[in-house]
Amino acid sequence: MIRRTRAIKDVLWFFALAGLVAAILRLWFGLGATTNLSDSVPWGLWKILNMVGGVALSTSGFTVGFLVYVLRLKKFRPFMKPAILIAFLGYGCSCLALLFDIGLPHRFWHPIFMWNINSFLFEVFWCVLLYFTVTAVELAPVIFERLRAEKVVRMLHRIGFVVVVIGISLSSLHHSSLGSLFLVTPQRLHPLWYTPWLPILFIISAMGGGLMVVVFIKLLWARWYDPASINGSETERKTPLIQIINGKAATVFNRRSQGPEFPQIRSLATIAASIFSVYLVLKIVDLFLHGGWGPLLAGTWESWLYTLELVLGVVLPIALVIIPGSRHSATGIGLAAFFGAFGLALNRLDVGVFGYFRDAGVVYFPSLIEWAVGLGVVASAGLVLFFISEHLPIFSEQPPATRPAAGLFNLSFGSLRQLWNTALTDGLHRITLISIFVIPLAFVIMYPPFYNSSANNQEIRPAIGIDAGRTILRIDGNHGGVETIFAHAEHQKRLGDSTSCGKCHHVSLPNDRSTPCSRCHRYMNDPTNIFNHESHMSAVAETEHITGLHPANYSCLECHPEQNPKTSSNAKDCLSCHKEDMFLAGVQKDSPNLRLANSYREAMHQTCIECHKKEAVAQSKPHLGDCQTCHKSLQTISDSELVNVDVANTI
Amino acid sequence: MYGILIDVTKCTACEKCVYACTEYNGLDVLKADRDRAVITDGLSANRLSTILKVDEKRFARKSCMHCLEPSCVSACLVGGLTKSPDGPVIYDRDKCIGCRYCMLACPFHIPRYEWDKTVPFMVKCNMCVGRLADGEQPACVEACPEGALVFGNRDRLLSEAHGIIKKYPTRYHNHIWGENEFGGTSVLYISDVDLAALGWPRFEPESIPSLTEPLIHKTPFIGLGVAFSLVGLNWIVKRRNTLAEEHGEPFKEEPHPEENNDD
Repeated sequence: MIRRTRAIKDVLWFFALAGLVAAILRLWFGLGATTNLSDSVPWGLWKILNMVGGVALSTSGFTVGFLVYVLRLKKFRPFMKPAILIAFLGYGCSCLALLFDIGLPHRFWHPIFMWNINSFLFEVFWCVLLYFTVTAVELAPVIFERLRAEKVVRMLHRIGFVVVVIGISLSSLHHSSLGSLFLVTPQRLHPLWYTPWLPILFIISAMGGGLMVVVFIKLLWARWYDPASINGSETERKTPLIQIINGKAATVFNRRSQGPEFPQIRSLATIAASIFSVYLVLKIVDLFLHGGWGPLLAGTWESWLYTLELVLGVVLPIALVIIPGSRHSATGIGLAAFFGAFGLALNRLDVGVFGYFRDAGVVYFPSLIEWAVGLGVVASAGLVLFFISEHLPIFSEQPPATRPAAGLFNLSFGSLRQLWNTALTDGLHRITLISIFVIPLAFVIMYPPFYNSSANNQEIRPAIGIDAGRTILRIDGNHGGVETIFAHAEHQKRLGDSTSCGKCHHVSLPNDRSTPCSRCHRYMNDPTNIFNHESHMSAVAETEHITGLHPANYSCLECHPEQNPKTSSNAKDCLSCHKEDMFLAGVQKDSPNLRLANSYREAMHQTCIECHKKEAVAQSKPHLGDCQTCHKSLQTISDSELVNVDVANTI
Repeated sequence: MYGILIDVTKCTACEKCVYACTEYNGLDVLKADRDRAVITDGLSANRLSTILKVDEKRFARKSCMHCLEPSCVSACLVGGLTKSPDGPVIYDRDKCIGCRYCMLACPFHIPRYEWDKTVPFMVKCNMCVGRLADGEQPACVEACPEGALVFGNRDRLLSEAHGIIKKYPTRYHNHIWGENEFGGTSVLYISDVDLAALGWPRFEPESIPSLTEPLIHKTPFIGLGVAFSLVGLNWIVKRRNTLAEEHGEPFKEEPHPEENNDD
């Protein structure tokens, strides 16, 4: 089966290398540029799938440890080493993914010294850290046996039980605490998933799902390296059985898996399925107790997702283990294990990601880099799993002999054909070939400036002229994709022709953001203006039946003349439209709706006059406090006169 | 303990508080301007406070509520957020590791993250602790031309608010937002319309730390309990196995008839 595992390893190398490139890009460009996380969705793929999900899927060490060491069930002893290896790698890759997720990875050690005993995340951090150490200690005998350090091995075996007990206690704490993490969001998490029982549900589902992962990986391993241990020997499978069907003897082949290791795998899957049944019952009771029926029957996509999660991830594995046909075949148990693990991961995604969509109001889909790092970390763990299981007695007493005879050192450059053959058979050469292709490709595809969609770093699109001479431009004013028409030539002319560019385009940098319209047209966008320009635009567009993508942006001409600058001074009179509704009869003056703040005039007066008077004294410019200073129409003062007054006062 | 009382009926949305806040915190005014247009609720790493539309004609400043039992303080795993005895909830950027749990934990969606930076931090209003230390009011309160924001001792503000509501029963809802919600907040609102737009719930939920903290303080005991029961269970199994061996009964490795010879 070398060829098949080789293809799988190639795929893993592909993802691992792409993940490496993505991780470098993430560290170089920062979170905002490389992920689709935002203020509305602060936790994404890496935290939920890699961390919360990954840790849950690696429960194996603790559950199998319980069966073997505490209940002393010897038949599960062969599962101990695989389970611990899976737990070690699972926790390792969760922690690695988390390093890229936190904003300041160089401070990952802070929680060791800075404590907050009220925080569930703090507890999770410590338990995961300690448990990771525990799995390393549990795994150590295998490595020391290989190194023939027998004293160390004996010492490690002596403390074995203590280590397992510590491991189980730590696990029971942090698996439930991972659920408690989401207890802080009663307002935000969808009621289908928010329940005070989150910690209990999390630990029970993790126990079942973790066993399913061991079963799945064990079955995969057996399929690739030692099919007879699961399916029974070829001769046994080919020997026909005589069965009596309807009183007649018939020859049938035994399609059941009869390998010596299959019964243990099946009973492990049965235990997992029983845990899942408890979980299913708890889930249903929880729906009753904590008001989940309403949202479940509401027919929203969340209720369908919840049903899918329960049916695919819980009911289906239980059914596959119960139904005799699938129960006795490796494929059936394998499918049950796969769906059990899948359902567990989906549940964590629902609680951590999908359950928050309703509250956040935005839909989060991880960016390419998030996928690459998330999968890359898992792929690297897979490669390490392959490496360790091929070189150490983890899954079987003897590691399988997989090394092809041809190796790096036998390479001779005799002929091109031989070179090519060696390149394809020798692991190191294949990896080199893959990396030559993958690394540049991943770098080009994921380079953030190429596709950046973050609102903060949005590229400014060049203005598009709508006429041949580019006198009128279509500009994206708020960089939000809502365009408006901008009479560039007219502005230029009005502000001083060829000398006027600098008034808006201050510095000729590439992608110069220039001056926002509101810098000059303050009234138009100022929320302090009593005239709500924005709502008038849309209202006019509606009453005048203007059509188009953004009809409000084409409504200017309804109030402003076509040629002159579109300012408030030459707009239509308010009364020309509002003649009737401004003088409605029968409006009570004291009605609570009429009582707003001070009128706009009073508000502005307070804002301006107070400061004007203060400054008038401070700068000894008495006219600053006069009404005419602002209300120029009361007494027309030309600009030059004002300047003269200023100069006179200062002198 | 200090607090801020916000009278929604007085706010004209002039945003002087926002500009004062942006200026005092040394943020980029242009970016703050842009974020008002681009971001739905107007809060970003460049804008620590904003004016939200409550309904067609009502506005209110929104910023950190400085809860009395803050969820973020309880959630932060390194203790980077603290509720100071003066009232403000203060962020210590020297401790932060960037896990963003505070952002998930806050019931009001206040903490924002500097997404566009390579070395990012969390950002939120700190009630101008620097100004409080100098005996000044927060920048937003000082800037408000309408007196819609009032700064002072929280208890005094509460009694003042009750007084206002009693005096003008027709003008205000008989409710002070922030008096009891989530265990009470240092920033209080009075209004004549419902403030759901600001993120206030329609009922008065208990504080979030009260949901989690009693649970987490039990964890060491749960852990020890699990450890001891494991040891006990193991002892029972061991004893049973020894007894079985002594009596020669096949207790230990039960044959599994179902596994091998069923059908």
